[in-house]
Amino acid sequence: MLEIKNVRYLYPDGTRALEDISINFPREHILALLGRSGSGKTTLLKCIGRFLKVERGKILLGGRSVYDLSEIDLRRSIGIVFQDLYLFPHLRVIDNMTLAPRLVMGEDSKQAKDTAMVTLKKLGIDDIWDKYPSQISGGQAQRVAIARALVLRPKYLLLDEPTSALDVDTTDEFGRWLVRLKEETTFIIVSHDVLFCEKTATSGALIEEGRIVSRGSIDNILKKTKR
Amino acid sequence: MKAKKVNLFFKIVLIFTGFLALWNTCLYAGKSQKLRVALTGKFPPFSFYSGKGRLIGFDVDVSKAIARKLNRDLEIVTTEWDGILAGLLAGKYDAIIGSMAKTPQREEVVNFSIPYYISGAQLFIHEDNKDEIENIDALRGKRIGVGLGETYEHYLRKNYPDIQVVTYKSTVDIFQDMLNGRIDGFVTDKLVGLYQIEKGRMPFVTAGKLLYEESIAIPVVQERPQLLKKINKALAEMKRKGELAAIYKKWFEEKGKDFETAAGIETKIIVKKLGKGFAITLLVAFSALLMGFVLAIPSAVILNNKAFFIYYPLRSFNDFIRGTPLLIQLFFVYFGAPQVGVMLTPIQAAILTLTVNSSAYMSEVIRSGLMSVDCGQILAAKALGLSRLQSFRYIIWPQAFRIALPPLMNSVVALMKDTALIAVISVGEVIREAQSIISVTYNPMKYYFIVAVMFFIFTFPLMKLAGRIEKKIKEKGFANA
Ligand SMILES: Nc1ncnc2c1ncn2[C@@H]1O[C@H](COP(=O)(O)OP(=O)(O)O)[C@@H](O)[C@H]1O
Ligand SMILES: [Mg+2]
Repeated sequence: MLEIKNVRYLYPDGTRALEDISINFPREHILALLGRSGSGKTTLLKCIGRFLKVERGKILLGGRSVYDLSEIDLRRSIGIVFQDLYLFPHLRVIDNMTLAPRLVMGEDSKQAKDTAMVTLKKLGIDDIWDKYPSQISGGQAQRVAIARALVLRPKYLLLDEPTSALDVDTTDEFGRWLVRLKEETTFIIVSHDVLFCEKTATSGALIEEGRIVSRGSIDNILKKTKR
Repeated sequence: MKAKKVNLFFKIVLIFTGFLALWNTCLYAGKSQKLRVALTGKFPPFSFYSGKGRLIGFDVDVSKAIARKLNRDLEIVTTEWDGILAGLLAGKYDAIIGSMAKTPQREEVVNFSIPYYISGAQLFIHEDNKDEIENIDALRGKRIGVGLGETYEHYLRKNYPDIQVVTYKSTVDIFQDMLNGRIDGFVTDKLVGLYQIEKGRMPFVTAGKLLYEESIAIPVVQERPQLLKKINKALAEMKRKGELAAIYKKWFEEKGKDFETAAGIETKIIVKKLGKGFAITLLVAFSALLMGFVLAIPSAVILNNKAFFIYYPLRSFNDFIRGTPLLIQLFFVYFGAPQVGVMLTPIQAAILTLTVNSSAYMSEVIRSGLMSVDCGQILAAKALGLSRLQSFRYIIWPQAFRIALPPLMNSVVALMKDTALIAVISVGEVIREAQSIISVTYNPMKYYFIVAVMFFIFTFPLMKLAGRIEKKIKEKGFANA
């Protein structure tokens, strides 16, 4: 269980990005963190990923503060795919994926490669394993980024605005891939794309101006937004 | 309490000075086996390389005779005229036996021996002008060439302020500009001038009488009066016994005598000299590049992050290095190091200076490479659990290096060419060797061209390679990722 308790975050310039956020993410299905652009979603994601230190409150993973976890434990528990993906442009798809397993988890090169190929296959992109990031499409890049995070087998995988760079058809296809992969990890989709979340996620929360304004099933949340 | 402190302070000072004195004694003790004498090796007939590549000349013979009288082994250091006095003051050698005239200015910083020959300043002109130009007064308002750092320059500026004095690095350059018509005459030592004109078969003649007489003597640092005494004693004895006159006769009166130079310089020797010179050039360039590159990486990391406490000192240091002439840095290291107790050979000084210099330039190039890597790359690496070092080694550095590679190649080419400057601190690199060949062959264009080609053979592939890499990076398309 990933628990967020009374979290508050202020940017150094004084911007109040998160205020008294409390929300639990159980380890199941596909969850959504909905909210308009500028509402604080990415900030919360960076707090969870320990890229920002909360001003007040707690972020607990299995009852332990994420700030107390070792770097390796944290990264093996929580994966993050940023909005801009940040694939490593000088490495081929396969090397993007095997780098962390080799360096961080100490897997040998063959083992890491096999796992990577299996994961690529699951995502339907095993044919591009030897391409450089500049040689693949946006939808493929999105899936490579997810595959790169998945090979570390995280309990949670946070995706920041995963559909922002995809067109309608690719978005639908991408959603189907996610549903197929939901046994692998708990996805937390951070997005302002209501339609996509409705189709893909089962439950979640809505954030507005740094506060959680509703939570529960997606249908419930959507009813509230429409009101 | 206070008295005790003062006492301790004095003790420390005493121990320290004692240590320094000991250090100095060791330094000088180490030196006392050999008499180290400096001359240019480019000043026929006083010092120059024979056709067989041996250092010969009047000054060389005098040096040998003095060393024999002092009962010491002789070590001759060939160095540029520009820095020859600074080298003496820095303790690089014990004396200069390089036809240096005794002047009040020089006497302020060094002590001179008794003169070992007398010569004088002579004006030379083109033989076509010998009817118009009777003496120096006819050249008022015109341009006259002199060797850089020679006494004639000072004399002309003082006594003929309306003559434009043009300074040259060597007589060969003066001859070239006389033939080109850039100067109307030149002033040099009469003996030297006549000798060189004859050797080079130049169409120049003397004009007027000697401008003044000069006493040629041997300078020694003021701190070593004992050595000066011994040299004076040796010279006096050589004069008395006619040994000095014999040497003079050998070089100036036995006309037509073959000094291994009559047939010019053998091709075999030229190839050997240029080859050796270029090997030294390459040695210096590649050592400096390698060490400079290794130093440039941490420097670039620091320069890329103001948070490091040494950011500002390093920033200023880099700007200083890049904003000052390499030539001055070379002098500074070579002549400055002995003053803080570090004896550097010319090659060591050259490598050290070029290392620091190239590191300053390369760190800027690498820094801009690091800067152009998207910060998100670090976020992504961290999200995957890579440590800071791993993220630098596997993510940031490979991208920064590929971006920095083409401009780095340019730095390499620039550094290769900069090695041309190290001749001034008497490193026997290829240009110095070329100059010493030119001082006997009088053919500057030919040998400078050969040297230029030698450089080009090395720099051209580097430039091509830089272009190729740049193109490849553009094709892969991650330079702007
Ligand atoms: N580095 C920053 N410094 C200051 N304010 C920021 C910074 N990043 C985001 N913000 C502000 O914090 C608020 C939340 O931003 P963000 O978490 O990026 O929103 P979202 O991801 O939901 O679009 C916004 O008002 C935004 O302007
Ligand atoms: Mg966002």
